[in-house]
Amino acid sequence: MEFYLPIAEMSINPAGFLVLGMAVGTLSGIFGVGGGFLMTPLLILLGIPPTIAVASEANHIVGSSLSGTIGHLRRRAVDIRMGNVLLTGGVLGSIVGILIFNSLKEAGFVDLLVTIAYFFFLTIIGLLMLYESLDSMGLLGHKKRSRFYHHSWVMGLPLKVRFRRSGLYISLIPPYLVGFVVGILSAIMGVGGGFIMIPAMIYILRMPTSVVVGTSLYQIIFITSIVTILHATTNQTVDFVLALILLVGGAIGAQLGVRLSNKLKGPALRVALSILVLSVGIVMGLELILEPDQSITILAGGH
Amino acid sequence: MILSGQSPPEIFVDGEERDIKIKPNIAGTEVVLLGATPAGKREIIIEVVGPRRNITLQEKRRFLGLWLGLGKINYHNVPSYYNILSSKPLNEISDRETFNKLGLGLENLPLGKAEIINSDLKQSVFDKRLRTEMQNKGQFLENESSIAVRSGPGKVGLFSTEFFLPSNSLQGKYFVRYFTFRDGSFISYTENTIDLKQAGFSRVVWLTANNFPLIYGLLAVILSGLVGWLVSIIFRRLKIS
Repeated sequence: MEFYLPIAEMSINPAGFLVLGMAVGTLSGIFGVGGGFLMTPLLILLGIPPTIAVASEANHIVGSSLSGTIGHLRRRAVDIRMGNVLLTGGVLGSIVGILIFNSLKEAGFVDLLVTIAYFFFLTIIGLLMLYESLDSMGLLGHKKRSRFYHHSWVMGLPLKVRFRRSGLYISLIPPYLVGFVVGILSAIMGVGGGFIMIPAMIYILRMPTSVVVGTSLYQIIFITSIVTILHATTNQTVDFVLALILLVGGAIGAQLGVRLSNKLKGPALRVALSILVLSVGIVMGLELILEPDQSITILAGGH
Repeated sequence: MILSGQSPPEIFVDGEERDIKIKPNIAGTEVVLLGATPAGKREIIIEVVGPRRNITLQEKRRFLGLWLGLGKINYHNVPSYYNILSSKPLNEISDRETFNKLGLGLENLPLGKAEIINSDLKQSVFDKRLRTEMQNKGQFLENESSIAVRSGPGKVGLFSTEFFLPSNSLQGKYFVRYFTFRDGSFISYTENTIDLKQAGFSRVVWLTANNFPLIYGLLAVILSGLVGWLVSIIFRRLKIS
């Protein structure tokens, strides 16, 4: 069976994309990450044009993060006030991100921007994860310690507000800034940005780990909604058919992942994920360096 | 329709123009083409050429060690659909030279003058690549030996064939050109048009995304959220049971 993606203007095998959604969904279920940072580059490697992959993945994450947030809300694991502050910064960031994306699109460099962003982030995150997981297995001979401990400057900033659920009394400025940066990445990379947001919440904002994932998912719903609408109105690159296929596959995968994570938890699994992230990053880098099969390709259709 | 000035009539096809619609709930629509020729050793070739559209190609070149899409070419008159159907393999019906003269066949399909931006390649290089890309996407088709010819009442040969217009097909006029050949040489020509009045699902999605982008974006967000919400309900039920 063939399925036609109306915006990407290509026929795909829906079973393949369902499986892709499931596979990435399973990983998100196991590790509690959104998976956009793996999905978008995989879509690009499968031949979806980068601009469409980014916009449609943002559209996919709207549904998957909503689905995830509901579960966390039931467990009262969402700091809504903190989420609102983060997403205020995020809205501004996503607008700035779209402006960057669109000006580079005009100049013909947007594919380069997306590919380099992925190469850069996936390689660095893959290496950090690999380091951390090997470290926690005791393979690197360090004592366990936090490497991000010195953040007293966060405490010294003005505009302090109380965040009850997180048990924090901190300035609004750091969460605004974190939200802003993640908003930019969300617009450029088609991700929720949990992979940046979660470490930032733990190490910079010092939120309790119990509310971190839920709060991150909560604000991701809004940021990816805005990013989807911005891409739809300025680039017409949102393929909702693609987003829905990934969403259905991802939903099944996420359930599998949550069940698997109870059995499989362990640093060895983190090593596997870090190697996966690292390899996707390296393949994205190779895309830029290696000669393409076809130097001439269709960029866009029209009326 | 009988071509005026020709006697005896060499080819009949039904109607000058007819309207068709793609229902929004199906993948596309089959179009049946029927006609008649005098009985005898006649071969038939039919070309279907869809409404024209813009297409942009990019050319990747090495720059500072990186492969970047630096060159571009903008086409404004590329047929959105092309299909060539024949009663026999094309090379058994006539030779290349004859097809060239008639402007018949995928190689001879005009793609229109295009503007080249920041590239030293000739348009013919891009044209060749565009034909291949459109074939890969299933928008340019070659269906040799797909026309069935049988003898009808009297000295009449009836032919029929069908082709598929997918749900992403553009609305507008599809020109159908009929050619008959005998013993390798061209003998007659006629044409009619099919007007695709109603677009299919994929085309409606594309048009909405491009003409009403804000509404489309909002719908995409709502739909994704709705499915996400449904999923969480379904899996919660499943876990309880």
